[in-house]
Amino acid sequence: MEGNFQISKTTNLLRRIKDFTRSILEDLAEGRSPIISINRFRNYCMNPEADCFCSSVEPKGQEILTLKKESQTYRIDMLLRVLLIVQQLVQENRHASKRDIYYMHPSAFKAQSVVDRAIGDICILFQCSRYNLNVVSVGNGLVMGWLKFRESGRKFDCLNSLNTAFPVPVLVEEVEDVVSLAEYILVVEKETVFQRLANDMFCKMNRCIVITGRGYPDVSTRRFLRLLMEKLQLPVHCLVDCDPYGFEILATYRFGSMQMAYDIESLRAPDMKWLGAFPSDSEIYSVPQQCLLPLTEEDKKRTEAMLLRCYLKREMPQWRLELETMLKRGVKFEIEALSVQSLSFLSEVYIPSKIRSEAISP
Amino acid sequence: MLRFSSFFYKCRLSEDLCRLSILLDQSTDRNPPITSILIADTGIGCNLEEFQDLRCPREFSGAKIWDGLLSVKTTCITEDEVYYFHVNLDENISNKRLKRQPSQAKNGAKFSGTEVSLSVFGSTDVLMAPIIGFFQKMLVLQIPNVTMDLMVNQGASPATQTQYVFVVNSDKTSCFTASNLERLKSGLEDYVLRHENCLDMMCEHCFSDREHLKVGSGTACTEENRKRTGGKMEVVIVISDLLETTRQCSRSCDGKTEVLYFENFSPSPIPLVALIALKKIDWKSYGLILASVNDQDGHVFLEWENFPSHVQIQIALHWYHNQYPTRQKTQLGINLVKKGIKNALDDLKAKHEGFLLSSHARKICSYVPDLARSIAGLIFSSTDIDFQGDCLSVLGFQPQEVERDAVEDYIQRKIVTVIGMNERKPQKDQEAAPFLFFEGESKTSYFEDEEIDGEYFSTSLE
Repeated sequence: MEGNFQISKTTNLLRRIKDFTRSILEDLAEGRSPIISINRFRNYCMNPEADCFCSSVEPKGQEILTLKKESQTYRIDMLLRVLLIVQQLVQENRHASKRDIYYMHPSAFKAQSVVDRAIGDICILFQCSRYNLNVVSVGNGLVMGWLKFRESGRKFDCLNSLNTAFPVPVLVEEVEDVVSLAEYILVVEKETVFQRLANDMFCKMNRCIVITGRGYPDVSTRRFLRLLMEKLQLPVHCLVDCDPYGFEILATYRFGSMQMAYDIESLRAPDMKWLGAFPSDSEIYSVPQQCLLPLTEEDKKRTEAMLLRCYLKREMPQWRLELETMLKRGVKFEIEALSVQSLSFLSEVYIPSKIRSEAISP
Repeated sequence: MLRFSSFFYKCRLSEDLCRLSILLDQSTDRNPPITSILIADTGIGCNLEEFQDLRCPREFSGAKIWDGLLSVKTTCITEDEVYYFHVNLDENISNKRLKRQPSQAKNGAKFSGTEVSLSVFGSTDVLMAPIIGFFQKMLVLQIPNVTMDLMVNQGASPATQTQYVFVVNSDKTSCFTASNLERLKSGLEDYVLRHENCLDMMCEHCFSDREHLKVGSGTACTEENRKRTGGKMEVVIVISDLLETTRQCSRSCDGKTEVLYFENFSPSPIPLVALIALKKIDWKSYGLILASVNDQDGHVFLEWENFPSHVQIQIALHWYHNQYPTRQKTQLGINLVKKGIKNALDDLKAKHEGFLLSSHARKICSYVPDLARSIAGLIFSSTDIDFQGDCLSVLGFQPQEVERDAVEDYIQRKIVTVIGMNERKPQKDQEAAPFLFFEGESKTSYFEDEEIDGEYFSTSLE
């Protein structure tokens, strides 16, 4: 799979690091102040005008880092520190997590977010994806269902045990020999729902692959989902709680995150469909009143902010309508609330009926 | 006429070597004591009209003139005789003030000069201090063709005679060919090293050598069409790191900065415009916090809030007026002084990397060791030997013999230079927006920068 800026060979990245280092040295030797230009990307704006160009993967601006401001100098300092680590990782073909990098100089980095930003800056600067830097995350996601594949020679045979959770592979770029007999991919927000489906032998009854990012999805889970979509060309459905947090997770799978907007093409799932839970489901499926929680002020603020995102207006107006309905009703509920009548309601009734209606919808 | 500087002026105008001598002779049998003063120079001589129109108070250097009488002898090089006359300072009518005495024939000798004698109430002890102070300050200008001396007689016996000689030190600068500014620089260095020229040699308790002084100079001129009120300002600033043994020195400075002020080659009380300018300079942009400006009868001292005790700053201002000195509070004059001082401070910054940086730049400099370590790391951690050699040659090192520490040090110095250079660029340039084509912070929701990546929830990015 090719990311937006993927570099085919590590030598290419190393060459760019060397060019970058050399240009800094030339500036210093000539008595010039080094200038580092970092493109800025965004995957949405909150501009009420419809003519924004957020859907484009092109940079939306540029940040100029110099040694004139302390905040920028600190950022350059952190960038160079992480770049030095990355150079060593790539040269030695070793991998490290962002957390590993943070713990190499915790007092200098001060916070994990500092390392994250430095990694983002490096990716943008060298036009590559994070995995090109040999920076990986310990996978948080789980997968089960009609699927088998290899990762760096290691076999993942989910087919052999359809309702057993397998960890999402860390080195997604090294995943190969993907074989599947599934008809669709189901992404669920929460591990509890994933385990409910596993207990209900959902994959035995339904030819599908179930994935969860266990909450907000990490890069590995999103990359793996994107890989499966491209390799298998299967429809993807997403099941999240009917609350602002669930919707944010849905949007992250579908449109990518702002933080990694520079690498959006390798991380988003553009054809993902929202299976539920919708605000209207509470009436359709008779969710008891005690399971309907009022939206907090914070929830309302979050929802109102999300309603302004340009990608909803442009690409998913029907999602936006559901979000408006939630705001109007002023209540939220979790997916588990649908199972009040029966423990297996989700796997036996709700999901199959939603999948069927999605299949027949135009 | 009775200012020392006017005698000096006559000498300076002479292109020959000149001598300016002062003799103080105290009568021992008088109470209160009376001291006769003889001031003689070998300068170009005086014009008699100068004395005719002389308006001067009946005092000399703070001491009251005894009989109100000046005795003046003067001759120019082209004249055949030495003119001799008395000036009665008590006489208000101009043409009666000057009483001509018999001239003396020069008998073909070619010389010029002026000799003025008078008697004042007061002892030599009181008179000596301002005269010595004047000569010590004059030495700062390093006028090469004038030597100065003071002879003090406190009695008839030779044992009560003391002579002070003030000679320009020409060890460092060739005074005859150097510019006024070069001489001022060299002169101020000597002034600092010799504790206001009180010592004959450099104070070894306080200074290791002249080369350790940091010297900056600046010049400011007014525009051509404003010459009348402006002129030219030359400024020299000397900053010295004092040795630890400075504690043993009784003359060591107390952290104050003396501002020497010269007007047309003469030490002078500092004018109001210069005082205002000193207060208005943005010292903070040079890492200095001015606590106060103390004006003690024209002798100005600056006090700093944050200057280390082992460092001394000395400032000399020389204002060349085209006409009469301007002492008005004019913006033009203030700007001229400010510009001269600022140029001298900038010169110091340019010559000494990482010096006189603002507190803002010093904060940026705190990242320099880290930056240099990372950049050196990118070179030395690379497995590409050709790249290493390439980088080292860019920095001017021979790849075979270089050590990482040396490279790191070099990179550090280069970064500090660049930070200092950034400070000297126009403010407008520094304030340039860091974002091109795009607003600084996007207005997005609380979720936008959150990214759970594996093990943790990352916090928002800036």
